[in-house]
Amino acid sequence: MKLKTSYLGEVEIDKQNILKFEQGIPGFEEERGFVLLPIEENSIFQVLQSVQTESLAFIITSPYAMVENYDFELYEATLKSLEITSENNVAVFVIVSLKETLASSTINLKAPIVLNTTNNKAKQVILDNEDYSIRHKLSFESMKE
Amino acid sequence: MLVLSRKVGETIWIGEDVEIVISEVKGDQVRIGIRAPRNIEIVRGELLKDISDSNTEAVIKNLDLFKK
Repeated sequence: MKLKTSYLGEVEIDKQNILKFEQGIPGFEEERGFVLLPIEENSIFQVLQSVQTESLAFIITSPYAMVENYDFELYEATLKSLEITSENNVAVFVIVSLKETLASSTINLKAPIVLNTTNNKAKQVILDNEDYSIRHKLSFESMKE
Repeated sequence: MLVLSRKVGETIWIGEDVEIVISEVKGDQVRIGIRAPRNIEIVRGELLKDISDSNTEAVIKNLDLFKK
């Protein structure tokens, strides 16, 4: 199907690739479907585009490429709602808050997006961990290729 | 909204699975114990608000940074 987006124009997506956020995400509870779209020239970042709202999109990235030893335990509530049975089928992303420059941009390590890659069910979880900040400065020194 | 008055040590049940216990009251602070099945998410209101604000602030306004 074709999807109109505000920042990447019209793109062709496969319905099967729609990520299902059954409760939306905090602040956007009605947005239940998103797709991951690549940003050209930059593979570390991807666009998480709403399928309902043309103008609603986020930049996401892998936390593991940004910080060392990023680690958390999945709550039983998350395992249940996403029907996760194996760690091998889980993907984790964090939302990037773009500022004037990438160096002053931040990532939300406190509330990662957890995805079950077998059924595409996803959820933004809130970690009960004081070490992870909602606005963690992007650090390029630790950025891996 | 349902509002109930409770004393320290008293409880409230929500459905059959969730029990709220008022464990301590000190000045304007109340300590609350929650006994709930592990599949129920419990999160402080202000933290949920912070995440919601952060998501709102992260909505893409343009992709200029990526266009060179």
